[in-house]
Amino acid sequence: MRKGVIFDIKEMALFDGPGLRQTVFLKGCPLRCSWCQNPEGMEKKPVLMVSWASCLHCNACRNVCPHTSSCNACGACIPVCPLNLRHIVGEEIESDVLVKRLMKDSDYYRRYGGGVTFSGGEPLLQGEFLLEVLEKLPRMHTAIETSGFCDASLFKDVVGALDFIYMDMKLMDSSRHKKYCGVDNKVILENARFLCGSDKPFVIRIPVIPGVNDSEENYRATAKFLKGAKNLKRVELLHYNSAAGAKYSMIGKSYRPDFDPERVAMIDQRPFTEEGIRSVVL
Amino acid sequence: MISERIRKMRKAFVEEKIQKKYWQEETDHYVLAREFSRQKEDSIDRATERLLFVLDHEKPVVFPDEKIAFLRTVRTIPELYTEEEAKEIARKHRIHEKGDVCNINVDYSMLLGVGFDAKKAELRDRIADFRQRGKEKEAHYLSQQIRILSSVEDLVDRYRKEAEKVGNTTVASSLSHVPSGRATSWLEAMQFFRIIHYVMWCGRNYHNTLGRMDQYLYPYFHHDMEAGLYTKEQAQELLEEFFLTFNRDSDLYPGMQQGDNGQSLVLGGIGPDGKDSYNELSELCMLSSLDLKVIDPKINLRVNKNTPFSLYVLGTKMTRQGLGFPQYSNDDVVIPGLEKLGYSHEDACSYVVAACWEFIIPNKAMDIPNIDALSFAGAVEKACFDFLESSPTYEEFEKHVDEQIEKDAASICEHTKGVFLYPAPFLSLMMTGCEETGRDVSLGCVYNNYGIHGTGIATAADSLAVIKKYVYGDKSIGKAHLLQCLHDDFKSDPILCNNLRYRAPKMGNDDDFVDSIATHLLDQFASVLKGKKNDRGGIFRAGTGSAMYYVWHAAKLPATADGRHSGEGLPANYSPSLFCRSFGPISIIKSFSKQHLENAINGGPLTLEVHDTVFKTEESLEKVAMLVKSYIDLGGHQLQINTVNREQLLDAQKHPEKYRNLIVRVWGWSGYFVELDKCYQDHIIQRMELS
Repeated sequence: MRKGVIFDIKEMALFDGPGLRQTVFLKGCPLRCSWCQNPEGMEKKPVLMVSWASCLHCNACRNVCPHTSSCNACGACIPVCPLNLRHIVGEEIESDVLVKRLMKDSDYYRRYGGGVTFSGGEPLLQGEFLLEVLEKLPRMHTAIETSGFCDASLFKDVVGALDFIYMDMKLMDSSRHKKYCGVDNKVILENARFLCGSDKPFVIRIPVIPGVNDSEENYRATAKFLKGAKNLKRVELLHYNSAAGAKYSMIGKSYRPDFDPERVAMIDQRPFTEEGIRSVVL
Repeated sequence: MISERIRKMRKAFVEEKIQKKYWQEETDHYVLAREFSRQKEDSIDRATERLLFVLDHEKPVVFPDEKIAFLRTVRTIPELYTEEEAKEIARKHRIHEKGDVCNINVDYSMLLGVGFDAKKAELRDRIADFRQRGKEKEAHYLSQQIRILSSVEDLVDRYRKEAEKVGNTTVASSLSHVPSGRATSWLEAMQFFRIIHYVMWCGRNYHNTLGRMDQYLYPYFHHDMEAGLYTKEQAQELLEEFFLTFNRDSDLYPGMQQGDNGQSLVLGGIGPDGKDSYNELSELCMLSSLDLKVIDPKINLRVNKNTPFSLYVLGTKMTRQGLGFPQYSNDDVVIPGLEKLGYSHEDACSYVVAACWEFIIPNKAMDIPNIDALSFAGAVEKACFDFLESSPTYEEFEKHVDEQIEKDAASICEHTKGVFLYPAPFLSLMMTGCEETGRDVSLGCVYNNYGIHGTGIATAADSLAVIKKYVYGDKSIGKAHLLQCLHDDFKSDPILCNNLRYRAPKMGNDDDFVDSIATHLLDQFASVLKGKKNDRGGIFRAGTGSAMYYVWHAAKLPATADGRHSGEGLPANYSPSLFCRSFGPISIIKSFSKQHLENAINGGPLTLEVHDTVFKTEESLEKVAMLVKSYIDLGGHQLQINTVNREQLLDAQKHPEKYRNLIVRVWGWSGYFVELDKCYQDHIIQRMELS
């Protein structure tokens, strides 16, 4: 049996698919988008997360820390915090255990038109684990939120096992994609091409980042690429969240976006309308 | 879309509060009581004379463009008794709250549909009958009611003249028909209602609930709509004006906090025929409230397993406005629950909510649904100190908890004896049987039951779960050690406190281990009240509400086994503990729908707070509506959902001047956040954990 690493199971996700759903966050991501809101999901290994804003600076955590020079997320400080501000983010879990947890309320979610969505991190980074979990989830509506950055055959297998796909298309230009997301977009576009031709219903998401991908050129290129995709339900343009940096300090990192977060992004739905594609702004 | 006329009216009464310009000076509170005392007048005469005094002192205010008139100007409603007399009464009796009849739902149609002239004629016949039978006291009582009706008519006449003076022919015309005659149109019915409601407040009766307005005003509404008197837009505009009348005088109403005025409106509901009574007027009430965005009237929706999803969506749109309502109650649970308590099927089907959430029966119940409260957490605590050490098993210990609940409940019931309520002769005109018997409603009605709230059930269940799991189960916590911690507020073991607070089982996480303990506690509460009678011939009803008792109980309570510190807050109503890190709203809903709620049906909602981002799109809004529906489907009894934004509230504490209009729901009512005491503000902020 395979093991995976997850970092959260959220109830009643609102923007992750139809009906009432739960969302599983798989840990680890091969991309390094500088606007990432979930920095705790980047590394596959568990990390310590601290909500400093409410800290009383009572020093109880320091007094018990066995690794003062560098934190290895041993968790010794967690029980001593009087306000419960410290957490280990990341839990290794066997596929059976995860399936059991998800099935606990499956009747409830099914009754309200929902199911489960796999998000991350990048869930496809743990593709084999994900496939094993999907295989064991009978009669549940399943969806994924993915960057599409993975091997083409794995992508096909996972798409085949799911009911609904949310996929990001952050940037069409390959060199800019590399610059802002840390990886080439060649394989992403290949997988998107496959999705456009498949019979699986899907949504394309564009996190609109000021100065990065909010050019008319990028919108047009995306729209042109998607033109004619028969199961594309809509394109969702997601507003950049100004609170995106909130969690960085909690995992001992600093938020350094390589764009101007104060600038207002240009939202343009026309290129999609012109290609006959429905789009919404969230 | 709100019309220009209504927008201006809303601005004037709700934002600028121009009505304050018309208020008369505060006067001597004992001006009448001293004279009453000298004359040794009885309570009925005092209540009558006071109401006549206030009505006489009222000065008519009519605005040129309004269609429904009446505005309070008298600020001081004088006392009935001198301070010495009041003390003497309190020594001999139990005085509930302020002593006035409150929190009941009169049948407005008993006057609306009859008119004062016909009512007076009816009363005269009855007086003659009573006199014939030598029942002087009863005859005198009804004659006092006639004097009240005449005094109201005098005031109405002054209003009519004023309306003519300012050129308001609409109001002048309505007042030439009602209240002397019965209402013959929807507008007249609303004007008539306004007068009745106004007079109730003038008699110092408070928490005058509105009840099933969509039912008793429906015939008038339906008739006028059928006759083509109004387009839908015009009807909504008129209803919005009517709704605004509930926001005119509310600063003069007594209440625990501003906004706590009990103007609850109940929409829909299954009738004795099994059909849902939600109608076009109910829908118009929803739309008007959505349009107006004011805190009164407070909307309550009666729903059931067949309620169309679209109503939940409409309700959720209302929730999105952050007014703290609608509150939902589930007919599938409430009606059978009330029947089990002895209410007839027909009466149970007509239930409404009292000021906050307690279920009461219109025109038949002189129930006092909030007479006291049991502290679940307090009972567990006492059992801990007295019996934890000596109990060899958890089952043994649980028996002591049960006994403590029984003891506390018995003591509460014992202390309800000798309730004295000030007479309410005007309200009695709209309560079943008062006229026939010549008896004031303050002395009792068809139902005379007392409701007892239950506070801190989650804290109690969580504490017992700790004892069951760690003290008796894996024995990882020693009895003496736990007791020491409860005594010294965990000073001797702060780490244990953290673990119990954050890592022990909690009600609200859909964990049967702890949820079943809550079920047991609630069952025990209901079962110890079963068969007990109060001294008005009524019964006692167990409930899941807290009202303000949770604040008082928390202040007195030492540290609890769930890791709660001494004096730290208890959850309001039927809700998870304040430091429960819940998995989410679905877990909460599942945890809080497992109990046998129909056995503890005094009322008291599960309270969920959701962050305003959940309403971002139509789709996400529908998910909130589904969540609400799911609580009803699972057998939950009552639910309120609050919309709050934590950052907003923190900022509001720093800059109250910027947030004068920010509305929150505190226990059963909505109020302006900046007008609340700081302890309530802090509580609300602390409670915002869901999103």
